[in-house]
Amino acid sequence: MGYLTLVRRNLRRNRLRTALTAASITLSIFLVCAVLSLPSGFTAIHDRLAAGTRFLVHNKAGITYLMPYGSLQQIRAVPGGTAATSFSRFGGVYDEPKNLFPNFSVDAETVGDIWPDFQISPQAIADFRRYRDAALVGYQTMRTFHWKVGDRVTLRSTVWPVQLDFRIVGELPEPHGNPMWFLFSRTYLEEAVRAKGLSAEQAGMIWVRVADPADVPPVMRRIDDLFRNSDAETASETEKSFFESFMSSLSGLTNVILAVGFLVVVAVVFITANTCSMAIRERAAEIAMLKALGFRRSVILGLLLAETLALAIGGGAVGAFGAYGVLKLLAALGATGARPGLGPLSMFLVTPWHVVEGIGLSLLVGVVAGVFPSWGAARKPVAEALREVF
Amino acid sequence: MIHLSNVSRHFRRGPDVIKALDRVTLEIQAGRFVALMGPSGSGKSTLLNILSGIDRADEGEVEVAGQRLTGLSEDELAVWRARHVGLVFQFYNLMPVLSACENVELPLLLTDLSRPERRRRAELALEVVGLMRERFEHLPGALSGGEQQRVAIARAIVTDPDLIVADEPTGDLDARSADQVLALLSELNREFEKTIVLVTHDPRALRWVQAIYHLDKGSLLEGVEATRATQAVEQTLGVPPRSAAR
Ligand SMILES: Nc1ncnc2c1ncn2[C@@H]1O[C@H](COP(=O)(O)OP(=O)(O)OP(=O)(O)O)[C@@H](O)[C@H]1O
Ligand SMILES: [Mg+2]
Repeated sequence: MGYLTLVRRNLRRNRLRTALTAASITLSIFLVCAVLSLPSGFTAIHDRLAAGTRFLVHNKAGITYLMPYGSLQQIRAVPGGTAATSFSRFGGVYDEPKNLFPNFSVDAETVGDIWPDFQISPQAIADFRRYRDAALVGYQTMRTFHWKVGDRVTLRSTVWPVQLDFRIVGELPEPHGNPMWFLFSRTYLEEAVRAKGLSAEQAGMIWVRVADPADVPPVMRRIDDLFRNSDAETASETEKSFFESFMSSLSGLTNVILAVGFLVVVAVVFITANTCSMAIRERAAEIAMLKALGFRRSVILGLLLAETLALAIGGGAVGAFGAYGVLKLLAALGATGARPGLGPLSMFLVTPWHVVEGIGLSLLVGVVAGVFPSWGAARKPVAEALREVF
Repeated sequence: MIHLSNVSRHFRRGPDVIKALDRVTLEIQAGRFVALMGPSGSGKSTLLNILSGIDRADEGEVEVAGQRLTGLSEDELAVWRARHVGLVFQFYNLMPVLSACENVELPLLLTDLSRPERRRRAELALEVVGLMRERFEHLPGALSGGEQQRVAIARAIVTDPDLIVADEPTGDLDARSADQVLALLSELNREFEKTIVLVTHDPRALRWVQAIYHLDKGSLLEGVEATRATQAVEQTLGVPPRSAAR
């Protein structure tokens, strides 16, 4: 028999209580690990989108304001830029209004030059140029609606009074392509809109590509200078900062979720501390006896703390690895497309580092919850401890 | 072995100060088996705690087994106890999650003996106290009161201490078990030359001990008073003891 035997037996003394306490720690650490994956999930999405040699031009008044289509020609003439395309929101829904996803009209012939990093197949790029009703669709969206290349789909615009039939000629493939986008030709939209007696001779936004990341700032400046004091002043921003501002609203939410997660952990600390002090009170006589036998305060403290720590780390490890496993499973499910309802859930991954953080946090839970009751019991003088129980 | 001179211990209870021990002076030679008797609240447990290094005197000098206990810190006393004192209490206070044998091994965790050696000594101690072998692996809950007290005594002797102190070890036992426990303590005293100090209300202890000290209101009775007190105990027993008190 050794100290470990003692700790182990004590943990098994009240199995139900041990199990319930461990379970509360497991759940809270699971929650925290899942929540911890949110910011890095967003960052992952956004890093993937940021290619570094691309930037976005939009109306200085805001991204919902349009620019004259003529601006695109002027931008193409700016030295340093290698390609540019209009990028206008179509606001199309598929079948039902709830099936809303990002779809944009673009200048079909430029797609391969603007997004070479997407690694769209050359065949898809060629078909996209050839067919006026062609569409390129992000892999995630393809899965969500169970579409295949070659399918014909109809989107009803919420921006224009039109409904367009498309043929899907290719995918923005995993892992480099934008998972959600649906791109189609601006001229196709233009025809349909003109048939309604309207004009779509505008650009919502304009993507510009340069040869080298170092060219981004000067070319951005040149473009904004070009339109300064015109009717449609522009504001250029890098792809990264564009998505950052887009996601900053989400990150506010993330912070709230994080805060909730940590409050849950604090609550669990209290619960664990309470359980721990109850367990110690019950054993006051045994603890007094151990002291009388000559166990020093530090040894008693160590024995009691070891119990709480084993409980906390055990529970925490199950929670952390559980979160790792569950989100990995969700990602795998998302990748098969079998459960489109998962949506972006499948984009969040608990990294091994989060697992380490989760277990570290559970260690902290154990220390904070265990140290006060354990120290209280350990430091009580032996004569007093004995007198209280006998 | 045990030298107490002018030992006092006071407790505060609200505005009052209770003199649990009032200038007690006491000498107990090595190898003696003595009893401490007295009415409830007379300070027996307090005295026993002080001479076993569990509690500290407020005044006076305490020296036990060659060590001056006055002035040792709580942790220093713990280390000293582990090496020199075996404790037996009324409620056996075994760890309910450990088997009989593991309970006896417990104090040996504080030594640097190897695991098999600890085990060997624990079994030896259990043999000495006469616990049946098939009980060694039982949890305390499965043992009778007498058996549990034997295990507790084995735990007290397993470290081979110089001094064994027992606070009402028979208080919770039936007459037969109580006799067996007293006989066992006496045997430990005779065969292993352990110094034993026993606190008891049990007049039967008279048959076994070599001397009785009487405490009353925190003071030791002396001379005629002590003799009279011992005679009073003898009368309740109806049998002459082995030896008279001092
Ligand atoms: N920690 C303490 N705080 C306050 N009073 C105490 C404390 N310890 C002992 N006393 C008091 O000191 C006196 C002696 O107590 P002690 O426990 O030594 O008596 P005892 O002779 O062992 O009695 P019993 O036969 O009932 O066990 C009692 O009046 C008791 O109430
Ligand atoms: Mg007492």
